[in-house]
Amino acid sequence: MPFSTLCANGRDANTVYLDHNATTPVAAELAPQVQDWLSAWGNPSSIHWASRKPKLLIREARRSLAQMLNCDPLELVFTSGGSESNNTAIKGVFESLQKAVTRPSDARNHYVLSDVEHPSVRRTAEYLRERGAEVEFIGVDRSGFIDMNAYKEKLSERTALVSIMFANNETGNIFPIQDMARLAHEKGALFHTDAVQALGKTPVDLAALGVDLASFSGHKFYAFKGAGLLFVRRGLQLESLIHGGAQERHRRGGTENVLAICSLGAMAAHAGEIAARGEVMRQMRDEFEARVLAEIPGASVTGGEAPRLPNTSSLILPGVDGETLLMNLDILGFAVSTGAACSSGSPEPSPVLLAMGLSRAEAQNSLRVGLGWGTTPEQMARFLEALKDVVARVRAFPPETSITEVVHGPI
Amino acid sequence: MDRSDGRRKRVLVAMSGGVDSSVAAALLVDQGYDVVGMTMQVWDYSSCDIEEGNGTCCSSTDVDDARAVADRLDFPFYVANCEAKFQAFVIDPFVGAYLEGKTPLPCVNCNTYLKFDHLIRKMRELDCDYLATGHYAKIEMGVGGRPAIVTSTDDWKDQTYFLFTIHPDVVPRLMFPIGHLKKEEVRKIAEEKGLLIARKKDSTGICFVGDKGYSNFIQDQVAPDLFRHGEVRLYPSGEVLARHEGVHLFTYGQRKGLGVATGEPLYVIKIEASTATVWVGAEKYLYQDDARVVQMRWLDDLADGDRVKVKIRYAHKGSWARIHKTGTDEVRVEFEEPVRAVTPGQAAVLYRPTGAASDLQLIGGGWIV
Repeated sequence: MPFSTLCANGRDANTVYLDHNATTPVAAELAPQVQDWLSAWGNPSSIHWASRKPKLLIREARRSLAQMLNCDPLELVFTSGGSESNNTAIKGVFESLQKAVTRPSDARNHYVLSDVEHPSVRRTAEYLRERGAEVEFIGVDRSGFIDMNAYKEKLSERTALVSIMFANNETGNIFPIQDMARLAHEKGALFHTDAVQALGKTPVDLAALGVDLASFSGHKFYAFKGAGLLFVRRGLQLESLIHGGAQERHRRGGTENVLAICSLGAMAAHAGEIAARGEVMRQMRDEFEARVLAEIPGASVTGGEAPRLPNTSSLILPGVDGETLLMNLDILGFAVSTGAACSSGSPEPSPVLLAMGLSRAEAQNSLRVGLGWGTTPEQMARFLEALKDVVARVRAFPPETSITEVVHGPI
Repeated sequence: MDRSDGRRKRVLVAMSGGVDSSVAAALLVDQGYDVVGMTMQVWDYSSCDIEEGNGTCCSSTDVDDARAVADRLDFPFYVANCEAKFQAFVIDPFVGAYLEGKTPLPCVNCNTYLKFDHLIRKMRELDCDYLATGHYAKIEMGVGGRPAIVTSTDDWKDQTYFLFTIHPDVVPRLMFPIGHLKKEEVRKIAEEKGLLIARKKDSTGICFVGDKGYSNFIQDQVAPDLFRHGEVRLYPSGEVLARHEGVHLFTYGQRKGLGVATGEPLYVIKIEASTATVWVGAEKYLYQDDARVVQMRWLDDLADGDRVKVKIRYAHKGSWARIHKTGTDEVRVEFEEPVRAVTPGQAAVLYRPTGAASDLQLIGGGWIV
């Protein structure tokens, strides 16, 4: 099922984009609609005629997205993206609980998250810890399974909120959100899931998941950067992150990013194809992985045993520094990722992979491949050939054993 | 321009974020090379937090400047983390040399162990054919058809003095794209190409020391008890003129800041680290007609007793001398005219005229002891 995206400026058709977990290219079908959306320049909060079209567009977007996610339109709050949604969910719950009681020490104040959360969840929880919250982490093993026993043990009547990602950005591992949310609710805790990686890769049914809060991002779903969603279950008290605006029913101040919201809403038209597109990606991904395992000696897949998103492949290629590999592939026109947050110039391996029990060397030898709707079998075949060539060439260099080693010698 | 496999030749350009290396990269793009830029992260700018990171979190504004040039000219750009190497090979020896009463030359070590070693490795890892830098130097065919390193057209800016440790096998893989240009021409090209760094001021002095001066830098790096106080003595009488707070505060030929008031101008003529004694004397004692040079590195052959031009510091214009080999990697340099302030820790670099204009070919060099 073909899917057309906008070409990056100046890039020829030979480049191959396989970093869809970082961001997706923009769907080509959105471009012709931009003129119409731009003409809706009025402030949606105004009363006069100029506000009607933007209000209408935002309402339509909200309705289509709610239909796609199986929730009520009023349960969706537009934000600037995934990080803001995550921050709003976690800080919002914390502050609402603090406000709801006369003595703050009476509030539920225990937060549970996984070891492999995105920094916008992890760091936000650490921020709460600095403000007196108790924060605990649940481990994930290298096969990709979350430690359910530890999770059950940690949950208590003091637990305010659990935040577990729907799927991990580096390995693609999908966690049992439905079960985990049920267990949290049994203790009276709220449940948030960072579902940023899910959109467009696997269908999401919020009613079936039974979560209280969920975060989404438009730019991981072929829409423009600058719009995201926070699902807030009806009736939930949530303090706003941004004060001073009545927008989004007082849940998110600030004039709406109408253009980006429209692009996100328009992508909901693809809701019915997501499962099938996922299967197409899965087939290409599985074939690619099978050939990597067969043709690159020593290669392995991280998180392969547990349920995974159909588009993600986290590979360990022993003896090949991930960053060197990434640079070589980039020069050849292939966009992939090492999975590390600050990999440019930094030797620090990915905290997610380390948390899953990989050694530093394994993490540094890791490569993340993320397929998308526009990926073709022909691209995957070319990528595999390039990967094999580069791995063989880089492996031919002796690894740098110490910083005092000097290369001088035959070139 | 193309390789045997049909693709364009690829050049790794060492980019500092300054005008020279930026223009070097721009010229290579114009010449049709497949350019890849790289900046070495050599010093810890971090108040940075890896987890909170993004593409530029660990970088100085210089790294950002280099990246901006690469983004504008649309070629791949990467940062190589060299902090540990830089500390081990550049900072530690720099500080150590001052404590030994020497005046070190950190740029040579940076070239030896980082630019022309670490980046040579990166060049090979990234399947590049050449490594280019923004040095003022030229590569020309020498006698016997081997490429040689030759002084730059802008003889005021020439930087070959810092290049004597380059391994001869590496030379055929090097490019110095701005070596045939004058500094003002380089700036003009940067302006014409709209590179925002065109007006950036020249980097002078030692990149990592910064505005606070080298003595403060060393004091930050070293435990205070390693600074040995000592005496300032008059040469040749031995009369004690003053006390000082560490030999790292002095360099050969220094006249100011000696803490001594006399009628006749006095200069540092010798630093004895073993006794922490700083000898000062009349200017005539600063001159000597030979020097012992160790850890020689050779880029071309030289017969015992050959007459060459020798530079004993970066700003030195060069003096004629005969070279006598005194050991496997040691020479005695016999100057035709006495030279001023032969300084331990600095390099003696040997050149031979190429016959073209005032160009000199780099023959080799070593460390003055």
